[in-house]
Amino acid sequence: MTNSIPEIRDTDFMLVIGSNTSEAHPIIAMEMKQAVRRGAKLAVADPRAIWMSSIADWHLQIEAGSDVWLLNALAHVIIAEGLEDKEWIAENTEGFAAVKETVASYTPEKAEEVTGVPADMIREVARAYATTRKAGIYYTLGITEHTTGTDNVYALSNLVLMTGHLGGPSMGMNPLRGQNNVQGANDSGATPVFYPGYQWAKDEEVRAKFSAAWGVEQPDVPGLNLNEMMKKVGTQIKGMYLMGEDIVMSEPNVGRLEKALNDIEFMVVQDIFLNESCRYADVVLPAAAFAEKDGVFTNTDRRVQRVRKAIEPPGQARADWEIILDVMDRSGYENPPYEGIADIYAEMASLAPKFAGISHERIEDDGLQWPVHTMDAPSTIYLHKGGVLRGKGLFQAVEYRAPFEQADPEYPLVLSTGRTLYHYNAATQTRRVDGLTEKQPEAFIEIHPRTARVLSVDDGAMVDVVTRRGRVRCRAMVSRQVKRNTIWMPFHFAEARANLLTTDAGDAVTGTGEYKVCAARIEPVDDPDVRNVFPGSYQTPVELTAKQ
Amino acid sequence: MSEQTLTINGVSIDHRPGETILEAARRLDIDIPTLCHDDRIEPVAACRICLVEVEGSRLMQPSCHSKTQPDMVITTESQRVSRNRQFSLSLHMADTVSDRTIAEDANPNRLFELADIHGTAGLWPHVDSPRQGRPMDVNRFIHFREDRCIGCALCTRYCDEIEGVTAITLAHRGALTTISTADELSLTDTTCELCGGCIAVCPTGAMTEKAALAYGKPEKELEKIRTTCNFCGVGCQLDLNVDRDANRIVKVTPPPPGTTVNDGNLCVKGRFANDFIHHKDRLTEPLVRDADGVLRPTSWDEALDRVVEGLQGVVTRHGPHSLGFVSSSRCTGEENYLFQKMSRAAFGTHNVHQCAAT
Repeated sequence: MTNSIPEIRDTDFMLVIGSNTSEAHPIIAMEMKQAVRRGAKLAVADPRAIWMSSIADWHLQIEAGSDVWLLNALAHVIIAEGLEDKEWIAENTEGFAAVKETVASYTPEKAEEVTGVPADMIREVARAYATTRKAGIYYTLGITEHTTGTDNVYALSNLVLMTGHLGGPSMGMNPLRGQNNVQGANDSGATPVFYPGYQWAKDEEVRAKFSAAWGVEQPDVPGLNLNEMMKKVGTQIKGMYLMGEDIVMSEPNVGRLEKALNDIEFMVVQDIFLNESCRYADVVLPAAAFAEKDGVFTNTDRRVQRVRKAIEPPGQARADWEIILDVMDRSGYENPPYEGIADIYAEMASLAPKFAGISHERIEDDGLQWPVHTMDAPSTIYLHKGGVLRGKGLFQAVEYRAPFEQADPEYPLVLSTGRTLYHYNAATQTRRVDGLTEKQPEAFIEIHPRTARVLSVDDGAMVDVVTRRGRVRCRAMVSRQVKRNTIWMPFHFAEARANLLTTDAGDAVTGTGEYKVCAARIEPVDDPDVRNVFPGSYQTPVELTAKQ
Repeated sequence: MSEQTLTINGVSIDHRPGETILEAARRLDIDIPTLCHDDRIEPVAACRICLVEVEGSRLMQPSCHSKTQPDMVITTESQRVSRNRQFSLSLHMADTVSDRTIAEDANPNRLFELADIHGTAGLWPHVDSPRQGRPMDVNRFIHFREDRCIGCALCTRYCDEIEGVTAITLAHRGALTTISTADELSLTDTTCELCGGCIAVCPTGAMTEKAALAYGKPEKELEKIRTTCNFCGVGCQLDLNVDRDANRIVKVTPPPPGTTVNDGNLCVKGRFANDFIHHKDRLTEPLVRDADGVLRPTSWDEALDRVVEGLQGVVTRHGPHSLGFVSSSRCTGEENYLFQKMSRAAFGTHNVHQCAAT
């Protein structure tokens, strides 16, 4: 996030796009609800009717994957009506001319044909966004989990740059991180392209710096990103070490991945539970949960906060960092003698200027928001204050590209996947909480009532969801939350894995898979085991909840 | 306009339009007790504990609700103010359980805390008009104890204004006023999202955590460990309430409003999804796969040797770039740092990525 969570309540306009905020980030949704109560305008762009769209001034119910069309049309209106901040653009940005030229053909009327959003609504939202100073954009995986994810983000940042809604409170460009420490894991260099603190691994000077610091010549062969790694399992990748990740639940197109995992020579899984991926593991190491160890998590507004050990881990389970240190030690690498977790943070901070002013001691009471360059520097509440960080904000003209897979006669529906309020990702944790499984016991697929009628599917009936990659059986939840041509299912349930269905086509830059769009069809099944309940229903029979 | 002033307890302070007496008093570090007030919620002046004297006004004014005016002369400590507080506290105490041990058997009890500080007008006979409870509510998280309720409506107002789901509401009238739902449905059958905010705002422990209540240790006997939530990316701060002797997390409570990024709020996962920590399925010993393909328990020593042999074997046969390291965005920053250091420094490859990358 360029800005901070507590600033949201003071904003005057919010564009929430590709974010089911009230389910995926409930506490940020509370801030947004407060802003709306105060009178802020809310525009929600989402293919589904979600909780937030029920309180929105505008619900731009777009066709899944047509984001670039919508965003370019918004830019088109802003420029056509002269609402861009010409002075700011001239002073702070470069490349505006190309964007102006590109979006010229993205008229609201044509956008209506592609996105399904009424042209007038596009105009209204564009005007409201451009003419409101405290106007923030909030997005999450609905923007990035596409083969055009990077384009979507560029198209959003073009809007920010042409209106100058940057560098002040309650505005900016705000990706909401989906997991407690996505930000922190990236910050720490757990990515093939960066060393800690976003220092390029391809930069020779950076590699020399880390070669010297770590006492080992750093490799100059570029690393594989997660998407490439998963596609090369069994071919290039012969050995894997998974820490706290259940790849056969959460990677796209896992059917293909599971076949490949049979060809792997060696795999380590380190986790708190015997997760689904352990079926392929040669060694399973028991790890401590978050309440059983010390360290830091960095949240979505760059806030580095403490994690504290409250209890002892069960049995022989140990903190992940202790295990890694042992593995490094036994593999012959000599770490400096760390006296505790604070020393490890200090080593990272000494190598990454963005975190140089952060230490466990400084964040004992309150977190710090990076960048914090020196030990006496304060938190950075919002970025780009007094000018864009890179000097000139770079416009990126992007053209619409269709999703990797589109509906066709054989697979006439668009399948989108996501998270619900009551479960979390692979659900190794949340499905072990009785009150949550009671509220939401099993997998389901949302189908529009008309689509359901055409297919002769009753609410609560079992159906097969079929794509080119797999087939999954779950319960139909007939709901007007989705559009007629769209179906939606959560990916939390091991017995009905949504990721057997999804495509592993990834974004060209980031490799992030297109979890949000693939072509699918529904096949009714005659299942004698159908109980008279439907998913999401709260009238859950006892035998379902008793199952763990 | 900023020259306009008002006076609180003889001290002059600038007048800020729209500010309540309570807010102005806080700027002077003057403490006015409240029971039904929460900064996040619109004031309703229901509990009458915060009444103060305003010169020229025949009635005392609720400081949470009354806006300041220029030239106001306010007195927050006087015999009259004190008499009212004690009287109000006695009234509320007659409406809830009077035995302190029972009153504090689970959550802290703000009513008794205030009585400690300000005294009461005496212990009065218990109000004989029982509130209706919710014995049929089958949700597993939130329990309503009608005998503790004083009808301050903090819970229903939180549900309405902050969580915004309006699942619970005041029902019935007068002394029978209680907390209920539409058609008296179980919370799981309403719009309730089980955030548990009603528990956090309840001053008397009428709204309480079902599991912690069953566990049987009052909150004051538990040790609070401040940490960061391990679910989504908001970074909510939470207090793990730990029973040290039993090495057990009994419940999770939010830090006070206004102190951390989550402003005293938590969601259903942050507050209630912690059973997994003590779950019987937790891995408690290292496992290695036997020649016959079965995972069997082993020692750390053997497991770590197998890890290093296995990874180095792959490097010997196929080179370092045939290894792939996948770390977790659920693990700490230090662990991710060490993990990529292991990949790059100990095994010589940039093939390391955190799980959220795709």
